[in-house]
Amino acid sequence: MRYLKTSEAAALLNVSPNTLRAWERRFGFPKPQRSPGRHRLFTHGEVASLRDALQEGLSISSAVSRAREGLATDTNSLIGALVSYESERADAAMESALALRSLERSVEEVLLPSLEEIVRRQTIDSAAWAFSAHWAADWLRRARRLAPPPVRPVSIVLGDASRDELDPDAPFIRSLELFSVRAGANVLSLSVRGVAGIGDAVAVHRPNLVVIAGGHVGDDAVARWAYAVRLAAGAMPVAVYRRGPQRVRMRTTGTSVLPGGASEAQRRLLELVETDQGGRATRVTMESPYGIQTGRRTASM
Amino acid sequence: MTNSARTASRGALALVPSVHEEQGPTIWFCGHCGARPSAAGPPATDARVCESCGLGLLLEAAAHAAPTAGAAFLVLDRSLSVCAVSRGAEELLATNETDAVNRHVTELLVPADSEAQRGATLAAAVSAATRGADEARSVFVRPANLFGVRMRARIVPCGPPQAALLSFE
Repeated sequence: MRYLKTSEAAALLNVSPNTLRAWERRFGFPKPQRSPGRHRLFTHGEVASLRDALQEGLSISSAVSRAREGLATDTNSLIGALVSYESERADAAMESALALRSLERSVEEVLLPSLEEIVRRQTIDSAAWAFSAHWAADWLRRARRLAPPPVRPVSIVLGDASRDELDPDAPFIRSLELFSVRAGANVLSLSVRGVAGIGDAVAVHRPNLVVIAGGHVGDDAVARWAYAVRLAAGAMPVAVYRRGPQRVRMRTTGTSVLPGGASEAQRRLLELVETDQGGRATRVTMESPYGIQTGRRTASM
Repeated sequence: MTNSARTASRGALALVPSVHEEQGPTIWFCGHCGARPSAAGPPATDARVCESCGLGLLLEAAAHAAPTAGAAFLVLDRSLSVCAVSRGAEELLATNETDAVNRHVTELLVPADSEAQRGATLAAAVSAATRGADEARSVFVRPANLFGVRMRARIVPCGPPQAALLSFE
């Protein structure tokens, strides 16, 4: 994957960096990612696709539309491969998507929308969905195996409250795990159905944050699991994750509700941990000589 | 036979006037703000973005029909889809270019001249312009969601690629 800085992308399109930023505001395309220093990074594929469309276009809007259509072919290819039960062709569609986008964007813009489209067209009881869900779980597992080892002092326990691999929430949860691991966090994923011995798991993993992801398992079972984790690890921030837009208004009682998009949710998770770690440091420095804490948590179990 | 006599008896080539009118001067303008580029002559293929607003591509049209800066106009292709909406037209039609692009023109404008003769309809005028017909055609239109308004629009060819420029007068 080749990335371009704003000046490089602007030069390729023969426009000024200001024009490129104006296009980002008006058309949302090309859509940059951010470097660790918060600088814009454009994918070469998007910029090249827009450059070609501009040469044959009548307006920037129509060129953007055409460039987007070109990129959408990956989604159509993946849907076509999955509903034809061809895992090799599906792998090839993702390879093609990865040539133009980062892994995170390939997952968010190609893999997850394709799966949602298959659920919409075929329903979750269909063989096509069974095949697609299994392929997606396998693909995301393979991608996770290629992720670098954890580099951040961030440890997350993810309580999986989805039904199984066929739950439409499952690919989103696996994506959140993958993105968190790729962002350098150490992630331990456990089903919320497994309460016995959770203390041992938590003692080994020593989490900074707990995420409850998915909505299939009942509230009582989730609450039992969360209580067991709290008993073992003490108070810590808790976040709830569901796929897509937040459709249900939840009683959160101090927990944070993560955004529906997996990469947005991953960014929010790291912010929560950093805020909590900052709060802990502040609390230590604000502790009075008599051992009275003056700091206050905002979201804790 | 002498040389001069032979030349006089031979048929001579004569300049015959073309059946097509000579094409008039053309100018380039921005397909969003209508501004003219500072450089004279056609822009390079990869340098057609307007230097004034940065939100439109430079297009070419006959000098007498090219819009001025801030004018209200649309650019349509041969399938009658909207390809560009000028800033003036965005205000006039209360729309946004990003929403209007790729929509059929009749979602924005509908003919408003029930007595128009055959060939003077909106679709016919746009088709003729996208085929490169030089003559400007005028039609009366109204916004698709508004009654009681009648606007005169002039339709001429523009490009590249070949398209129709619909300017509100």
